[in-house]
Amino acid sequence: MSQSLATARVALNALARTAPRPCARSLSTARGGLPKRPAAPPLSQACRPRPLVQARGFKTVEEAKSRYRSGPFSWKAGILFVLTGCGLVWYFENEKKRMQRKRVAESTKGVGKPKVGGPFELMDQNGNKVTEQDLKGRYSLVYFGFTHCPDICPDELDKMARMFDLVEAQRRGALTPVFVTCDPARDGPQELKDYLVEFHPKFLGLTGTYEQIKAMCKAYRVYFSTPSHVKPGQDYLVDHSIYFYLMDPEGDFVEALGRQHSPEQGAKIILDHMKDWRGKWRTAN
Amino acid sequence: MGLLSGLGLTSPSPEEKRASEVRSGAVAPTRAERQRCWDARDAFYACLDANGIVDAIKEDKKVASVCKSENARFESDCAAQWVTYFKKWRVQDIQKKAKLKELEAQGANKMEVHTDFTPRS
Repeated sequence: MSQSLATARVALNALARTAPRPCARSLSTARGGLPKRPAAPPLSQACRPRPLVQARGFKTVEEAKSRYRSGPFSWKAGILFVLTGCGLVWYFENEKKRMQRKRVAESTKGVGKPKVGGPFELMDQNGNKVTEQDLKGRYSLVYFGFTHCPDICPDELDKMARMFDLVEAQRRGALTPVFVTCDPARDGPQELKDYLVEFHPKFLGLTGTYEQIKAMCKAYRVYFSTPSHVKPGQDYLVDHSIYFYLMDPEGDFVEALGRQHSPEQGAKIILDHMKDWRGKWRTAN
Repeated sequence: MGLLSGLGLTSPSPEEKRASEVRSGAVAPTRAERQRCWDARDAFYACLDANGIVDAIKEDKKVASVCKSENARFESDCAAQWVTYFKKWRVQDIQKKAKLKELEAQGANKMEVHTDFTPRS
């Protein structure tokens, strides 16, 4: 019994020794640690408790009391919290979308990726030579079709005209709309000119020899088939792919737009990619 | 006049010449000519719908008896190639819609189709 009492006293003594004594400790570290430090505050000053009201700068006791009741929350803090939250959400959403577009744009660059586009030499509707160099410095929207196309191409070209106008309204001279014929036997420069002017005066129509067109379609991975054994003067239809190819100002493929995109959606996709572009733009018109 | 020009006794008017060039595919139709063709096509389709005809090429005899005037207008306002194309397209379109309906009834999910090559997670 007396032994257990003695052990309890020892434990109490130990507790008293280890209990924190902040003032004494701060004094000892100030003395032992850095003797050259200029002004170690004297014990009496460092340990004097400051009056709460004075420290927070409240004018009246009532003010301090009401602040004490509401704690650290106030309408100012609430607004700041909500604004910061909204800001962060907006920023991350924006950044996420940008990264997605970047991934789309870059998915076709580098090793082992499908290479769409490339050098070509064709003739426009005015009989001038056009190469891939003429398209550089601007985005281009490339569509393949033919003037005798029964239903899809005219629809899509009307859509392309709307898309082009929407993009032009925001960024003038940043996009070249290009129409490449898959039917060079019948679509010469004059035919293209008559055809395209009904859709948009700014459309660039491209034609060439059968070999040139074939090479162009191959570079853009466009499937097209002219029926074989066509006699001169005989009518026929050409089967072909119906995507819009968005190419960046360096002639690299960015994204394909299809039938499922409305002109507004298409224009937004194009404008968003333009926003991301960090390379050169053509300055002269 | 129609009879005479048909026999090649008088030279056809410029409009008639143009229309025959469009029909033969010698020239590409203009926007107005395309629209006229599409209107004729839609009227023709409406007649086929009303008479329960799916394939106008296979059932040409029935077409000739019940949709004679619509067919004549369709053939006169569109290029011959377009007429064949639209007749075949109708069959495919009806089949496609029927197939989609059938799949939907079986509880198939509509697939979202993307046009870029990006892998999606």
